[in-house]
Amino acid sequence: MAKIIVIDDEEDIRVVLKQVLERAGYDVLVAESGKEGLKLMEQEGADLVITDVIMPGMDGVSLTREIREKFRDTRILVISGGGNVAPKSYEPGAISTTAFLSSAKNAGADQTMTKPFDRQELMKIISELLD
Amino acid sequence: MNTVGGRLVLMLLLIHAVLMPALFVALAAVIDRNIMDAFVDDARIHGRIIGDNIESALVSGDGAAAEHMLDSAILGGHSVYAAIQRKDELVTSTMMSADEAAQFKEDFGFGENDDDTYYFSVPVGQNEEFAILRLGFDELPTQENLAAVRRTIVLILIFYTVLALVATGYLTSRIVRPLRWLRRASHAISAGEVDKGLKAESELIEIRELSNDLETMRGKLVGMNARLQQEIAEREQAEEDRRTLERQVRHAQRLESLGTLAGGVAHEFNNVLQPILLYTDLARDELPDGSDAAANLTRVMSLAKRAKALSNQILTFGRFDPEAEMDETNLASVVEEALEMIRALLPATVDLRSEISNDVGAVRCDPAQMKQLLVNLCNNAHRALAGGEGHIEVSLKEVIVPAAFASRYPRLREGEYAVLQVVDTGCGMDKQIQERVFEPFFTTQEIGEGTGLGLSVVHGIVMRHDGEIILQSEPGRGSQFRIYLPLASEEMGQLS
Repeated sequence: MAKIIVIDDEEDIRVVLKQVLERAGYDVLVAESGKEGLKLMEQEGADLVITDVIMPGMDGVSLTREIREKFRDTRILVISGGGNVAPKSYEPGAISTTAFLSSAKNAGADQTMTKPFDRQELMKIISELLD
Repeated sequence: MNTVGGRLVLMLLLIHAVLMPALFVALAAVIDRNIMDAFVDDARIHGRIIGDNIESALVSGDGAAAEHMLDSAILGGHSVYAAIQRKDELVTSTMMSADEAAQFKEDFGFGENDDDTYYFSVPVGQNEEFAILRLGFDELPTQENLAAVRRTIVLILIFYTVLALVATGYLTSRIVRPLRWLRRASHAISAGEVDKGLKAESELIEIRELSNDLETMRGKLVGMNARLQQEIAEREQAEEDRRTLERQVRHAQRLESLGTLAGGVAHEFNNVLQPILLYTDLARDELPDGSDAAANLTRVMSLAKRAKALSNQILTFGRFDPEAEMDETNLASVVEEALEMIRALLPATVDLRSEISNDVGAVRCDPAQMKQLLVNLCNNAHRALAGGEGHIEVSLKEVIVPAAFASRYPRLREGEYAVLQVVDTGCGMDKQIQERVFEPFFTTQEIGEGTGLGLSVVHGIVMRHDGEIILQSEPGRGSQFRIYLPLASEEMGQLS
């Protein structure tokens, strides 16, 4: 069965994605930061990495670049909450997540999605990526 | 009397009042003297000739001939009295009465003794004792002659004075008429008729030069005035443009801040919605189909999706819409499709008109967002009509934005644009509402009607497309939303 690593700094997202994907029959590993996710990838390897794009420390874009360099065949799905980084940085010029997503694509992500998505949408994308 | 004409006539009269009597006195004196001298000379010569003849008669002792001589002196000449005094004998011949003749008094000049007669004596012979001839000449004809000469002089002088007055009057009118004309013209100019010319018709060089100079001066002043007016108008326009731009920039900045704030909130909101949606889905999986609990969780999921749609609208306002797919698009067909949708959405009673130009160049845009924009604007227009009379008009055309117009709006540049316009004849809005109308959740509707996001989504879409939205509205006179979208060809031109 295909192996998936889920990386997100929000616990609820990690937990729910793990449940959804396991119920669909995938092997799921979770990590709460980019660094931890990369370590997990090096130790365990995976067919698909699903990562949030905005995280403290190593963000989704840098993580995508690292994985793409080391693991050519791993599929990468980058997800984001849309809008911009956080309400505390609402002064004009704050970087939008749209920009993050497009730079993740440039860094080698296979697909991007904007939260919230429902189960069907997620499954459809994953089966396309792992096909 | 202080007019030019008055002064000239007065001066002329004063000069003549002095000059004319003086001239009269001088002329009369010269002419009188000549006439009187001629009279006296004439009388003396006459007397000498008669005296010589009488002397010859007396020497030859012919007394009768001498007397006859006296008579002929009176009858043939001008004398009125003639007498010879010889020792104690006086022989007289006269046309006067004896009284008058007895008053003989010798005159030395014309008109002496006040007796109208010029008397004088001539000695006859070598020896004065021999005889004395006395003669008297009538002065009256000569005096009448003198009076006639004086009258003639007076007439000539009066005629001359009248002539001088007429000439002065004529000259005065020649000077005064163009001056009066100039005065009227300059009066009109000071009253504001600055185009009134100052070129006076006159053969007088000074007046012509004066009026030419005034006309030149007027021309220069009019030119200067026009330049000043133009400069003032230009400055006012520039000031107005600057204020408009400032207002637009402030407006844009406020909306951008709001958008960024909204984007931040939506980000967090989406991160919360995501697990809600999936946990609910997972929980429902474990419940039997048809159970109340499963139905409830299905409702929770659809509510979460509604929340997602709301969040997406906020993201669109904040230009963070991740779904936007920009492509070079023929806007006319997109607008036609949108109008079909709108006709289906709005009640059939709404008078929706359209004027779509098919010659509008391609625009880089997301067709779905363009449709959304039109739907929202038409919804807004429909609400403005509030079920009353009136219509909504959607139009699309291509325009060239001139630099002067572009300078008033922060996002406009000189060049070609597609202009999408939605006009309604509804209730319109005042300045305060116009300032805030694009803010998210700002609404003038009753609570429960409309989300207050429609126009902020429109604004976000326009900004996303690097366009400009211009709102013109007046309470009671409807609203006009004009959206400028740069043509794809223009964008290429700016990149290169």
